[in-house]
Amino acid sequence: MTDLTSTNAGTIAIESSRFGHVDVEAAAVIAFPDGLIGLGGLRYTLIATDAKSPFVWLQSVDDGGLALPVTNPAHFFPDFHLELSEAEARRLEIDESTAIDIFVTVRAAPVLADFVANLRAPIVVAAGVGHQVINQAPGSELRAPLLPLAENLPSSSAA
Amino acid sequence: MLKITRRTGERIILGDDIIVTLLEVSGQTARIGIDAPRAIPVYREEIWVEVKRENEEAAKAAATPLPDVANAEATRSVARSGVTVTPEE
Repeated sequence: MTDLTSTNAGTIAIESSRFGHVDVEAAAVIAFPDGLIGLGGLRYTLIATDAKSPFVWLQSVDDGGLALPVTNPAHFFPDFHLELSEAEARRLEIDESTAIDIFVTVRAAPVLADFVANLRAPIVVAAGVGHQVINQAPGSELRAPLLPLAENLPSSSAA
Repeated sequence: MLKITRRTGERIILGDDIIVTLLEVSGQTARIGIDAPRAIPVYREEIWVEVKRENEEAAKAAATPLPDVANAEATRSVARSGVTVTPEE
């Protein structure tokens, strides 16, 4: 089968407003059947700009201007826990044994002290399909500051 | 806006497969049941509005390098986490 939207077999070209021309392997595309809440976007991919950074970008495949920084919540929030309603677990077709990747969106700021992550609405990726879900776990803040834990992380200069 | 008056126990059908049931009314509060195909997400409005705003604010970030807060190699690797499902009442 020929995919006419691809520039090469197996790759999809993105003209990103942030990162310029990016070729993404088809296998690296994450389908979001319902988009992100209030933002839409049916296909995204993850772009890392710095291998050392805990942040990666969730870049829309179809809208070069749409990208959000995300992070692995376990990195900043060791107590992070995801609890889904039964309805959402059914929607995602996952259960407690499913291997999933979890990301949280990050609001960047001029200084790291003002960065916040949305623990209330994490993004769950399972088998190449992503959903933004509502976390039912108590204390899942909409704007959780990153810094308290960042201060405790080992820094390269302190070694 | 379409306005429909319902008694307790009466339903509204949206399309062929979404059923909204008025379960109970008590003062200013109504309990509503929603039966929809499982692929359709259902949100309380206030949560939807909050998350939409957070997504929009996150998407305003420029491509300026995000800070390295740690030298951990594990940072980029993604958590493989379990998940808990909360039974509904």
